[in-house]
Amino acid sequence: MSKNQNKPIDPVIVITLGILFVAVAALMIVFQSNGTSINISAGAGTMSQLVVAFVTGITTGGLSCLAVQGGLLASSLAHQIEQDYVGQAGQKRSKSLTVRTNSALPIGLFLLAKLVTYTLLGALLGWLGSYLTFSPMTRAMLMLAIGFFMIGNALRMFNVHPIFRYFSIEPPKFITRYIRRTAKGTETFTPLFLGALTVFIPCGVTQAMMATALGSGSIAMGAALMFAFTLGTSPVFFIIAYLTTELGAKLEKFFMRFVAVVVLILGFVTLDGGLNVMGSPISLQNLTRTWFASQAESNSAVVPSQPSANAGEVVLNVENNGYFPAVLKAPADTDFTLSLVTDKTYTCARDFVIPALNYYQLLPESGTVQVSIPAQKAGSTLFFTCSMGMYTGQIVFENQ
Amino acid sequence: MIKKTFKIPDMSCTNCAMKIESLEDDLEGVKEVNASYHKLEMVIEYDESLVNEEQIIAAVKKKGYTATPS
Repeated sequence: MSKNQNKPIDPVIVITLGILFVAVAALMIVFQSNGTSINISAGAGTMSQLVVAFVTGITTGGLSCLAVQGGLLASSLAHQIEQDYVGQAGQKRSKSLTVRTNSALPIGLFLLAKLVTYTLLGALLGWLGSYLTFSPMTRAMLMLAIGFFMIGNALRMFNVHPIFRYFSIEPPKFITRYIRRTAKGTETFTPLFLGALTVFIPCGVTQAMMATALGSGSIAMGAALMFAFTLGTSPVFFIIAYLTTELGAKLEKFFMRFVAVVVLILGFVTLDGGLNVMGSPISLQNLTRTWFASQAESNSAVVPSQPSANAGEVVLNVENNGYFPAVLKAPADTDFTLSLVTDKTYTCARDFVIPALNYYQLLPESGTVQVSIPAQKAGSTLFFTCSMGMYTGQIVFENQ
Repeated sequence: MIKKTFKIPDMSCTNCAMKIESLEDDLEGVKEVNASYHKLEMVIEYDESLVNEEQIIAAVKKKGYTATPS
């Protein structure tokens, strides 16, 4: 009856909880003080990008990475586990616990090395990106490329057509051979070393995140993005790698389907964001806004103009959750001034872009910035967006 | 030494190719294995006097995949 009494706490639970606490703590830091606590880059929307990276990691990255890198981890653990069993021969009672104790540490070390290496990789990519000046159009093209890459990878996972297999980048043979042979080692540092080597065999989701880090154009932001993403992947990676040192074929298929669905959705979201940043009328948001023009019109009518707005001036409120009103009416064939008003705005809505005018401005957290809008034809529409394509709006030109 | 190509239709990612290439270390007589997830095949170079086709197919099966000579 008292068999379970005084049972030592399973170290795997402690480490799992530890990783989860770190993850939750990171999220709390992210959300505290509306994202002003870590102003990593000059660009706005830093926190939302990090949250997206973390959530991507915890939802799809962990499973996707495990599918690609799990075998490597399993093979490095297999020998040790085998040795543990041999060592425990004749000591039946404590066998299970001992194996768990010994496998938790290498997995933890593996993930720690992975976290450090990917953070450094993010810094490197961000540094490389800082030498490339990304205009809104370049950024849009990059987002479109990332979106296509993610959708292609999702379709590959669904096995839609053999052509989509080329969306998965095969690492060079000498690297895979080196990694494979290193995995056979039994030294203590092996998991650390292998965790670092996973940087050469990134999964599809990780590759997409690497492209995002490159696009950030900042060492700190690139590092933070990859850190958040890899941290997000860690709990799932740890738990599954621990519970099943090698995924069964059925389990792997199930995971791949799940990952494929999520990657497909994220791919379309990224693609849509790219279209928004391009100022394309065929993005989902712009299409729906046009289709429900009457509704948008009524919404815009509800939002009062600023009392101080002068003639020839149109006021747009830039808030944390978007632009208000989302649809502005302006007189055609007349120059006018667009006043962008921020008031404790911290999200990427501050990163204001009018693609058609090639206008790009990081707005102050609070204040007003005026933009001269040249005369436009009646019936035309000028789309505006944040630099990530998340928040959008439009100016519709009408005859007075 | 002989070089042969096998179709492996059930590879699902690049890691599968890496797993299959470990035949180099597991099977005596195998000199080199080049597996490609893109082509769903492996090209294997081996010593016929030490290992035969059936043994190779069995070794691939042990790793969870199906190999058929092409």
